[in-house]
Order: sequence, then structure tokens, then C-alpha cells
Amino acid sequence: MSKSNVLKLLAVFAIASMLITACGGGGATEPAATEPAASGPKVTSTGFECPEPSPRVEVTSKELNMFVWTEYFPQDMLDCFELVYDIKLNRDEYSSNEEMYAKLSAGGTAYDLAQPTDYIVPLMIRQGLLQELDHAQMPNMKNFDEGWMNQEFDPGNKYSIPYLAGTDAIVVNTDAVENVPQSWADLWKPEYAGKMVFLDDSRAVIGATLLTLGYDVNTTDPAQLEEAKAKLAELVPNIKLFDSDSPKTALIAGDVDLGMTWTFEALAAQQENPAIQYIYPTEGAILWQDNWVMLKDAAHADAAYAWLNYTMQGDVFWLTLIDYTYINPNKAALEFAKANHTDVYSAYADSPITNPPAEAIANGHGIQDVGDATPLYDDIWVEVKGSN
Amino acid sequence: MLQRLRENKSAQGTWLATPTMLWMLGLLIIPLILTTIISFGQRSPDGNVIYSFSLDNYIRLFGYSTDCDAGQASCFNPLYLQILWRSISLAFNTTIWVIVLAYPLAYFIARATPKRRNTYLFMVLIPLWTNFVIRVYAWMMLLRKEGAINIVIGWVAGLFGLDFQPLEMLYTPGAVLVGMIYEFLPFMILPIFTSLEKIDGSLYEAAADLGANAIKTFLRVTLPLSMPGVVAGTILVFIPVMGTFIVSDILGGRQVILVGNLIQRQFLDARDPTFGSAASLILMIMTLIVTYFYTRKFGFGEEIVVA
Amino acid sequence: MNPHRRHPLIQVAAVLVYVFLYAPILVLMLYSFNASRANVTFEGFIPAFSERVEMKGSMVQASPCGPFHWFCELSKNDDVIEAAGNTLTIAFTSTIISTIIGTMAALALQRYEFKLKGFSQLSLYIPIVIPEIVMGIGILTLFSQLFGVLNGALGLTGDSRLSLGLGTVIVSHIAFSVPFVTLVVQARLQGFDKSFEEAAMDLGANEWTTFRRVTFPMILPGILSGGLLAFTLSLDDFVITFFTNGPGSTTLPIYVYGLLRRIITPQVNALSTVWILIVFTAVLLLQLLQNREQKQH
Repeated sequence: MSKSNVLKLLAVFAIASMLITACGGGGATEPAATEPAASGPKVTSTGFECPEPSPRVEVTSKELNMFVWTEYFPQDMLDCFELVYDIKLNRDEYSSNEEMYAKLSAGGTAYDLAQPTDYIVPLMIRQGLLQELDHAQMPNMKNFDEGWMNQEFDPGNKYSIPYLAGTDAIVVNTDAVENVPQSWADLWKPEYAGKMVFLDDSRAVIGATLLTLGYDVNTTDPAQLEEAKAKLAELVPNIKLFDSDSPKTALIAGDVDLGMTWTFEALAAQQENPAIQYIYPTEGAILWQDNWVMLKDAAHADAAYAWLNYTMQGDVFWLTLIDYTYINPNKAALEFAKANHTDVYSAYADSPITNPPAEAIANGHGIQDVGDATPLYDDIWVEVKGSN
Repeated sequence: MLQRLRENKSAQGTWLATPTMLWMLGLLIIPLILTTIISFGQRSPDGNVIYSFSLDNYIRLFGYSTDCDAGQASCFNPLYLQILWRSISLAFNTTIWVIVLAYPLAYFIARATPKRRNTYLFMVLIPLWTNFVIRVYAWMMLLRKEGAINIVIGWVAGLFGLDFQPLEMLYTPGAVLVGMIYEFLPFMILPIFTSLEKIDGSLYEAAADLGANAIKTFLRVTLPLSMPGVVAGTILVFIPVMGTFIVSDILGGRQVILVGNLIQRQFLDARDPTFGSAASLILMIMTLIVTYFYTRKFGFGEEIVVA
Repeated sequence: MNPHRRHPLIQVAAVLVYVFLYAPILVLMLYSFNASRANVTFEGFIPAFSERVEMKGSMVQASPCGPFHWFCELSKNDDVIEAAGNTLTIAFTSTIISTIIGTMAALALQRYEFKLKGFSQLSLYIPIVIPEIVMGIGILTLFSQLFGVLNGALGLTGDSRLSLGLGTVIVSHIAFSVPFVTLVVQARLQGFDKSFEEAAMDLGANEWTTFRRVTFPMILPGILSGGLLAFTLSLDDFVITFFTNGPGSTTLPIYVYGLLRRIITPQVNALSTVWILIVFTAVLLLQLLQNREQKQH
């Protein structure tokens, strides 16, 4: 490679990058607005008319830093908040609670809000990462269904409020499988060998194993865990792949026929192939919910409260029903959708995946932090997977 | 003062090296020292580090365990050594295959006209400038049951009227191997090319004059002179394979646990930075030993460079 | 004359290896025209143009951009463009700085004797052997502690606090790039023929002029190679960037990795295709310029 070649290549890259940065700089700083601020309601680029904030709060911050799950927000929700309050949203994303925790616990970050799943909230509280929420600043909290509030992991909702919830249960391609499993224990049957996908989630899978033995999903008893390890070791050779990112892909592609997955994935797979069903096992499904928390040194707390209040409104939160098909804990949103967008509402309400029957919820088990026993669970996981 | 600087060669050297050394010290050496200290610590219930001096993590890595089946006080748990062995085997296999595939192409490029050579080299480099993870996902699209490869084979079989069951290639250790070979192939092509290119053409003429045929020339002239490149390429391939977790995660269906996966799990899911640090140090020491012996034997030259 | 020069077996092997290298890339590019949003298998090209996007289930029936639907979606995606901008900014900045200080260090190590020389040389090998996650978490811990102390000492709060962001990412990228630049330039210096420099000095040039007009041009290929290597490493880095970035400094690898883990829409394929085409065009232009230059000589 002669020097002039490389120089020229670098020059081309320099020009390309300047062009992209120029476009990007322009694109990124403007919210997708089409209406001037003065008159009338704000409209996003998709034509959605933004509801007014109710109540509208006074905000001095100009931006809000969120550390959130990938692909978890309707674009209209984000755009509307930016338009209505003129606050820039900075979103950094993660794909697992552990990644989020590792980064936040080290310190040095400047986020205001984060979205942990239930089991990791007590850990964050203990580690002093969160600040208490001022309920007085969030009058729209009343929009939530009481069934998802005041949970064991955060009594009184001192630190967290719900976002979306879901279940982990059995998913089956009824075209490809003759005997549809009805319980976690059924998945151990040899006829399913080599055809299953499971979540790559040690707590969920070990939890399901514990349930088949009649134990609690959050047990710390080493003897029970030993039994679970042995039982799981029988199952693992029959599992074709572990996937906590996009298990629906393997299902749709026909690489697997059944397995364990969560709400959103099951519905997405079903939309591709109506023969795919979601079954709540007799021992009980795993329940979980994602929550908003405010970080201790949040520099833009007022913007954070404004965001939380705005998105908790029924006429804003219902947007999640369209593409983000999880269990929706916001009853105001459900009522709004029922009254104004019946097609979206009935799609949600009619599906047992997004709207589980009451017994499924009652029978369900929530994963909790097991503190000292965490390495025990992980050891089992590594050993069972690693000795293949 | 500048005058004194001009004369004092030692001071000049120090000044030139200072910015780099500051970076190394600050961002590499200090974190490394931190990692070492942490590896001797113990895990608190919440996953924080209790600073102490304990060899527990290292003992655990090498298989000594107090968590035994038959009620013994202690026994040997080969789990981590198995994982280590699996990683070494995979790294070794990958390297061999990569050498087999890289050598002909490097040879071809080295023997091409200088004008074409740049083009061929860039064609090797271009895949590297796409995103690593996307390339791995591309292999998923090729290898799965309804993927490109099965479709093509099925179509060919159809032409001959043969019955064809789609091959189950994805989520197997074989898929992980193919993925690793693919990702690290360019890192072997370039060093081998560099060392082949440096071979003086007159050596071939001399060999021909002395009556050597093609094979003899290759074995006695080309191959030995290209060894520095092969060695450099081996280092550039073997070491990263040991530490990679993405390929085994995505193409192996998260069933293939290598050292890289193990370490990553410790820092994230298991929240046990002490054990993770210990595993990392062992990995680093091992790779340093391998590198040291290799470079002692074969030398460490320009071939590690893409010049 | 090399007897192997035109051996057909070598040529066949070379072609096969190129096919191996490019098959996934071509499949990748093909899928960016996929009519199926689920992007599990290739379901054909999008057949029709229309005013608004028409979907049936997860199949795109028609779109304002026709088969290029996903590219249009991509261009409306502000997140991607911002991430691309960040990625290039970081790559350029870290490459320039690491090339300069790496070259300086290489000169120091090859030509001077100074205290801690052995130690410095050895420390350059650390980034090559260290697992990325260890380096990432180590650097994160370092920054966190440092910022904690500085913020407290200087009384910085709120928005003026020191925290993770573009700056910390650039600094981290320099950390893993510098050793590669240094080693590359060092290797180049090893084969360096000092007689040119001696001749220049004999003819009356002082040290700085000698360096500028003799040494530097001769090691420039090595410097540029090192810089190119640094650039490549920075472009694709995920682990270290993940641990050291902050609000508003997302890079493409992080964005793509997060996206791939959730929804693998053809939009990601479209992004790869655009990226590949940019690189390809750059290389093509290079070749044309080179041919033109050679014709002039």
C-alpha cells in the first residue's frame, strides 16, 4: 500500500464523515416536528396529534438522559414529549439488566432514569443507586392497575413505578407438535428432543425446573438447587438453542418447534404463524414487570417527573398497545383505547398472550433477588451448559 | 533548557514516549492492577468486592471444590478446566483452518502484479469494515434450516431429482468454528502476504538454477521464509478466539461456553467480579506465555503489520 | 521465474476463499431488500410503489420507495445517523491522536535509551492479550472513581459534572489503539536504513530537518498503516465503548448490537449495505486516482 493511496483513502473517509456528521447534526437536534410551537396541537411526523400534558408541570431542564431497554418505546411517544415540552431526550440502551447494573453500579454515569426489571430493583436500592420518588409530583400514578403496584420488590412504590409487564411461558407450534405440552414438566419428554428453544436466562429456566420439583423459584436451599441441577442436566441436551434476544426467529424459521419464551416474542411469532400458541403451564408461569426508577444524582429530575407524568396519561400510554405487545398495567390507557381505538384494544384484550386469564396471573411466580445465592444459580447454569 | 534537551538523548527519549506511557499507565496498567487486586478478593452478598487476600478464586478455577456429591470434604470439579480446554481446542482448530485457507490467497496476492495487488488487498479488508456482529448474523442467514445454503443445495438436488432433507447446521459447534474462521481469516491473510511479498524474486531464480522443482522450491524456500507471517497471524488469531464470546453465543445457540463467555458471565450475570478477574488473569497469563514462546522461536517482525 | 506464478490450483483456491469471504456479505445485502419485516428468510423483493406503506401481516406489500423501502426507513432514522456521526468522530479523533503519540513512542523505543524502556515496551502488549470486558470494566471503574473525586473536590454538580460521554470514549479508544500504532511503526523502524539519515546530516542538515525530510517520509507508510489499523479497531469496537459511553454518545456498533438483539429488521441490513457501498466507493475512487497518477508518470 503506497503512502499516497492511503492518504487518499483517509481523505475520502474524512469527507464522508464530515458529510454524515453534518446531516446527523442537523437531524439529531430537531425533534420530528412539523408544526410551529405557537398555535394548535403538536403533530408528529406520522401524523399523530399529541395530547396536551395534564397536568402540565414547570420544567427548567432542557434535556433528559434515559438508560433504557432497546426498542421499547413507540416513536410517537418520544416525539410528542419532545414537542410538547421542548426537552431533548437522550436515550442510551441496554439489552440486559446485568449490563445496566454493571454500568450504573460502577458510577460516573449521568443518567436520570433507568428501566430495571423487578428482581434487580431491590439490589439497586440496597446499593444506593436510586432516589425515592416524590409521589406528589406524579398525580397520574393513579392510572395504574393496583394489581401491579405495591409489589414485594418495592413496597409502596417508593422507588419505582411500572412500565410494562409480561410472562415467561410455553410456546408451541401446534402444526409441528402432536402432543401439546401443558406443564413445564412436559418439556422433559423425549419426543421434544432437539426441537426446543429456551430463554438464556438462568433464573427463568432454573426457576421452571424448580417448579417441576415443587419448589419455590426463589429458593436458596442448596439441596433443592442440587436437585434442580440434576433435573436440568437431563433437559439441556434436548434443547437446541438458548435465546433471550429473539427466540421468535427460530420458531418462525422452523429451526425449533416449541420451548420457553416471553409475551412479546410469542405474539410476534403467532402473527407470523397462527399455529403458534402460548400455553400457561400448570405449575405457573413466570411473571415479571419492567419499572421506571430515578437515579440518585439525576441532574434533570424535573424533566424526569414531566416525562413520567406525561407518559402515564391514558391518551399517551395507549400507544404501547400498537407495537409493544406486552401486558399493559395502565388501566387509564386501556380505557382510552377501548373508547377510541377499538381495533387496537380488541387485539390486545382478545389475546390470552397480552391479556392473560386471571388464574394465569394468580398462579404465576415472580423472580426475586436471591442475594448471596446468586453465584449458586449461575454456577448451576455454567455447569449444566458447559459440560456438554 | 531546550538546548539541554537537544543534547540529552535520554531525556529526549523519555519525552517522546511520555504521552503514550501516560495512556498505558492510566488506562491499562492501573485497571490491570485493580483487576489483580480484585481477583484476590471475595464476593459480597450483593456482588461487590470485599478486599482481602484469598486464593479461593484461583483454587476454584483449577477445579478444587468443596461442593461435592458424595459428601466428601473436597473433590475435583473439572468444569473450568473443561471450558479452558474447549477454548484452546477451538482456538487451535480455528488457527489451523485459517492457515489452510489464508495461505493460498496470500500467495496469490503476493504473486500478483503490484497494480492489482492493492485491489486484492482491499477486497480482503472490506469485510472487516462492516460490523463484526452483523457478519456473524449473516452466517445465521446462511446456515439455518431455511437459509441460503440449504436453499441452494435443495435446488441443486431438485435438478437431479434427489430427495433432500435440510441440513441442521446452525446452533452446533461446527457453526461456531465456521464463524470463528470467517471472522479471523483476514488477520492471517495480511501477515502471510507481507512476509511472502518480501521474498526476493531472485531466490526463486536461484532455486530454479539449482534444479529444484515447484514443490521443492515451495518447501525449501517459500515456506520457511513465510514463517514469520504465519507466526504473526497465529498470534492475531489464536488470542482473540480465546476471548471472543459473541460468535459462540450467536452461532452456537449459547450452548458453547468458552473462556470468553465464562468471564463475561462473571462480570454481568453472576455479579462475581472477583472470580471474573481471576479467570481474566489466568487467560492473560496463558496468552502471554504462548506469545512469548512463539516469538522467541520464530521472531516478531514486520509481519504483524499491515504494511 | 517463479514456477508457481500462474498455477491454476492457486488461482482456484484464491477465488474460493474470496467467495467464502463475500458470501455472507452478499446475502446480507440481498436481505436489505427483503419484503418480510420479520427477516427470517428472504421472501422476495417488495413488488410495488405506493403512496403509503401497505403491510399485510409482516410482509410489506407496497411502499413509496418500492424495493428500497428499508433504505428510506433508514434515512428517516435519526438515531442511526447520530450514531454514525459519533462513530466517525470518535474514530477520527482517536486515530489522529494515537497515531501521533504512537509514532513518538515508537521512535523513542527504537532509537533512544531511557529509564523504564523495557517496562514501556512490555506494557504495549497488554491490550493485545487482555479480554475486552476486563479492560472495559477496569477503565469504567477508573473513570468513575476519578470523576467522583474531581466532582467532589471542584464542587461540580448537575450538568457541569464530569461524567461519561464522548470524551471518555475517545480516551479509551486511544488506549487500545496506541499500542498497535507503536508496534507497527516500530516494526517499520527496525528495517530502517540509517545511512540515508547519516548522508543528510553529512550534507549539513540539522536533526529536525533530517527528520522532516528523510526519516519521516520513509516511515510514513508504517505510520499510515498503524493509523488505518487504529481506525479499523475504533470503528468496530463494542465492549469498551459500551462501558465508557454516556448519554448522546452512542456509536453504531452499540446501536446495531442492541437492535440485532431485539428485532432484526431489514433496516439493519440496509445500514450494512450502505456502509459497504461507501467503503467500496472509497476504494474504487482510490484505484481511479492511482491509475490516473500512474498514467501521468
